[in-house]
Amino acid sequence: MNPTIKLALILIASLEISFTYNLPANLLVILISVTYLFYHRIHGKTLAWLVIVPIIPAFGLFTTIYFFSSQHDLATASALFTRMYAYVFAGASFSLTTKPLDLAHSLEQNCHLPSKFAYGTLAAFNMLPKIKQTIVTIKSAAAMRGVNLSWWSPHLYFKAILVAINWSENLAMAMISHGFVEDQPRSAYELVQVKARDITWMVGLLIVLQVPIVWQIMN
Amino acid sequence: MTAISVSHLTFEYDDQLPTIEDATVNIPSSKFSLLVGPSGCGKSTLLKIIANLYPDFGGTISSGSVKIEPNQRVAMMFQDPSQQFTLDTPRHEIIFALENLRLDHDTIDQRIQDALNFCNIESLADRQFGTLSGGEKQKCALAVMIAMNSDIFLLDEPFASVDPQSRNQLIERLAVLKDQYNKTIVVTDHDLTGYEEVVDEMYRFDVIRHRIEHLSEDEKHKVLADHFSIHHVPVTLPSDQEHSVIELRNLQLTRGTTTLADIDSFNFYDQQITLITGQNGIGKSTLFSAIAKLFNYKGVITLNHTNIQKIRPAKYHQQIAMVFQEAASQFVDVTVNEELELSKKHRLSNYFSDQMINDALNSLGLSGFGERVVYSLSQGQQKKLQILLMLIISPSILLLDEPLTGLDEKSITGIFDILKKSCEAQHQTVIMISHQLTKLSQWVDHHVLFSNQTLTYQEVI
Repeated sequence: MNPTIKLALILIASLEISFTYNLPANLLVILISVTYLFYHRIHGKTLAWLVIVPIIPAFGLFTTIYFFSSQHDLATASALFTRMYAYVFAGASFSLTTKPLDLAHSLEQNCHLPSKFAYGTLAAFNMLPKIKQTIVTIKSAAAMRGVNLSWWSPHLYFKAILVAINWSENLAMAMISHGFVEDQPRSAYELVQVKARDITWMVGLLIVLQVPIVWQIMN
Repeated sequence: MTAISVSHLTFEYDDQLPTIEDATVNIPSSKFSLLVGPSGCGKSTLLKIIANLYPDFGGTISSGSVKIEPNQRVAMMFQDPSQQFTLDTPRHEIIFALENLRLDHDTIDQRIQDALNFCNIESLADRQFGTLSGGEKQKCALAVMIAMNSDIFLLDEPFASVDPQSRNQLIERLAVLKDQYNKTIVVTDHDLTGYEEVVDEMYRFDVIRHRIEHLSEDEKHKVLADHFSIHHVPVTLPSDQEHSVIELRNLQLTRGTTTLADIDSFNFYDQQITLITGQNGIGKSTLFSAIAKLFNYKGVITLNHTNIQKIRPAKYHQQIAMVFQEAASQFVDVTVNEELELSKKHRLSNYFSDQMINDALNSLGLSGFGERVVYSLSQGQQKKLQILLMLIISPSILLLDEPLTGLDEKSITGIFDILKKSCEAQHQTVIMISHQLTKLSQWVDHHVLFSNQTLTYQEVI
């Protein structure tokens, strides 16, 4: 599926379920996402993580509403519980099946997003492993001066930002020296197309999602 | 033909003394030119001006001009191999660069194939950059420049983190580019190894007289040959009376697929100043990282006969402290005074009295900077402050990684004077890495050479 269309579909669906307390709609989003993930041969371990990680906040939401609110409203509590999972699975069905580079190409070609955003973000994304290493270095350098920088220490992030500013300048220079000029047209090695099939799927799935929502309003 | 003509160029960063002052130089086309000079002399700045990056990215040209031969594409290779790619793999990076030049699919395919071929890196094309060594990354950077069909190749200390073998391969490829494809090659470098056969023109930055000298053929050969006849100064080998403080046993260090070190047994000795030398990229800094518990290794490292893996990091880093190559990574606070206060607060001994700290600041030319933000100091000033801050803390072992970068003769004497006195008074051990051997011989007790993946004590520096 075209990355931009996929992203749009997931954003619209997520937005919609965040304005309604609709258990069937949430379950539908989860069902479609899980099916899609299976279609893309998701690992069992990854799927297990997706189920386990949100369980505490989801359960927290459920107990707060069901046990501690004045109405002990089971419907709202289960809608909130499943909504958490709907977000997680919808997000995963995008992030686990789309390469950042494909998204950048699609946003650039299909959405006409300025290429400096597309590639700037991509360059930053590719820096993530180095940023991790740098944070370790900053922590140790401080430890050697007797200062323990914890994960929530503002000092740590102040230093990390300073390093990042320096990197961003180097990266910008590197992009320019590789021929990148802001706002100048580029050619496309691979054309990313929006196929009729992509649109059909998006519209089709959105219509299916409206069924439980409209049903709820009618009743 | 002149490819690059710089005339009476003066360039300055904001509110600072000019980095380049009234520089004039003409670099011929289709030749291999080498620019040398001490660190901080403006070599790198000049290349970035030629590449049209400065003044867009900072600084101003207050007079003079830089002219490039018309219709010549300029490309640049940067010092830090890991900060010059936008995308994740060499193939994607080349595609990105060629899309910028608005080439079509088939031309891009052809150019990728030719460039990868020329650099002998077909096997790296789809590897993630994170898994490549410094040398491999620089080969990829060269491939991008070639794919873009550049005419002028600027290389800014491109081999600083490249192993000697890749370095030779890259220099050989550059020579082929010049000889067979008439490309103009301009390289800046500190290390003159391997250039004798390939360099046509050599330029030297004279920081005292503020000019760029074009060396004559004789001078060029003399400088390149001089490089091989280093004056050796004798140093002592460790004696039986010395106690080992750090022991390495069956230590293996690997980066990606390359083995950097494979050391059966080696000891560093207590209360000595030990200098480690070795070629660029051989793994000296990685060895320090391993000793400082910042790099995963195989084998055993002990400190006073205790396996360092059994010592908690916080406790360990009080005994053994590293002066990082990048001075800025060691600062925690904002101003010079705050940094000094912080070091005083966490110091392990009171050896450095306020009076001594003031004297030290004076002798290092740092007095009067108390309220300055540390990041606004020059590289040299940051380095001096960083070393002083670590000395005030007085850990029992200090690891210094390239402590002389950006320092002039006077600063080096100042720093080592303080360091030596502190070591003698507090029985500290110092292990350091440096390239600048001649300036260090009088301060050093032992010399260790890192080569062939192992460490050996030497009788000379």
